[in-house]
Amino acid sequence: MKRWKSDRGLEARMLLTMFLLAAVYLAFLAVLLSMGVSRIIVVLFMGGFMFLQYFFSDKMILSSMGAKPVSESEEPRIHDMVRRLCQNANLPMPKIAVVKTAMPNAFATGRNQKHAVVAVTTGLLSRLNDSEVEAVLAHELTHIKNRDMMVMTIATFLSSLAQMLVQWLPFMGGGNRDRDSGSNVALLLVVSLVVWIVSFVLIRTLSRYREFAADRGAAIITGQPSHLISALTKISGSRVPTEDLRRVEGPVSALFITPALSGSSLSKLFSTHPTLKARIDALQRIEMELEA
Amino acid sequence: MGFLDSLLGKTKLPEAKTDKLFAISTAAITLEASLGYRPDGAAGVCIKPMESSHYETVRREIEELLGMSMKETGTEYRLQKDEYNYLWVVLSDPDLDDLVNAIQMVAQILTEQGFGIQILAAVFRFRGEAVIYWIYNFKQGAYYPFVPQSGRQRDTAREFRLKALLQKEMPLEKDESRWYPMWGMPL
Repeated sequence: MKRWKSDRGLEARMLLTMFLLAAVYLAFLAVLLSMGVSRIIVVLFMGGFMFLQYFFSDKMILSSMGAKPVSESEEPRIHDMVRRLCQNANLPMPKIAVVKTAMPNAFATGRNQKHAVVAVTTGLLSRLNDSEVEAVLAHELTHIKNRDMMVMTIATFLSSLAQMLVQWLPFMGGGNRDRDSGSNVALLLVVSLVVWIVSFVLIRTLSRYREFAADRGAAIITGQPSHLISALTKISGSRVPTEDLRRVEGPVSALFITPALSGSSLSKLFSTHPTLKARIDALQRIEMELEA
Repeated sequence: MGFLDSLLGKTKLPEAKTDKLFAISTAAITLEASLGYRPDGAAGVCIKPMESSHYETVRREIEELLGMSMKETGTEYRLQKDEYNYLWVVLSDPDLDDLVNAIQMVAQILTEQGFGIQILAAVFRFRGEAVIYWIYNFKQGAYYPFVPQSGRQRDTAREFRLKALLQKEMPLEKDESRWYPMWGMPL
């Protein structure tokens, strides 16, 4: 007998988003190749970009956030809590890091389960009680368990190429007198722009679904959805803006407990995280599931 | 949890594996004969409580059954929450087999009622030239040694010696990074 059923709706939406993203990327690749862009260049670019992002973005985010790794003797309670959650979730123990900032937040990074880091801010530790901190840690551990770093890296890579092309193409081919290649460049610019915009929306959509999945995972790992609800409420209730968090962009910001970027200026469609209300509603449905 | 599960964001936790739990009984004989460690009459099982009235019902059922078996075997029990809000069923009985049976019963009821993923570990205390613990990880279905010292230190040398002695006798956790210590156990 199993208490936890899969959230088929969420999985289907996630699958559809990934499918659409793949379709956009394949079409983009087809256009690139049909325009005579060398296969080797595309492959090299893709490979190089993914390699860099996969292996170095965790170090980049840790240093850009000012996250300091902490030893077991410095933060014994967090280590104990994470260890038990890992034992329950069958994960290897990640490294723990702390960011000194009043803004309550947490994030996970690392290219795979063996090289994972979970970071929490001092603001989070001071505002939340132990059960709430545990719920947030479980949310981050679910990101690791679901390999969100890898999923989001793969999801973003061609979007970044499209973005670069949009930024660089206007400066290229201008001096070229060949009319054909001039119109080619214009076409490529339009295609890149469309790919960039569409993939951006899809990536953000996927990111929101991964957040729902991480919330659900946290409920499963802790067995206590209510603590995550109260943690999310407390975190969202205290919007202390900090400039340095705005520098964090791209796939990594998807792994925060709440958006590192201010959500107010961005519409729901472009947000990396679902609204607080949507998340709490989903968690309350899980609570009801447990009573069914 | 496979690749597809990760891709779809399914969080699947391993069910409790109880089949290897009994290995402690035979290992205890070797442990005493070779290194002089004897069962210390204390064991416990660590459970992550769940927010559900069904879970509460099962917990009461377990308490009733433990109360009944207490009359039969003389195994004493108490329920205790630790500082991280995990529930411990702490058992005491000089007979190791009774302890193993009681833990097996608790794990079986929880699994049957769908709370198998909530069972974290079982712990058996042994005493010899030091106090040592054997921790059974239900997720992996494997044992590992835990020898705590003061100030959250562990006697790793002794743990490896225990591993070397018993790796042929019982299913041991091969990945030492999963030898999770359990500080603040109520036994």
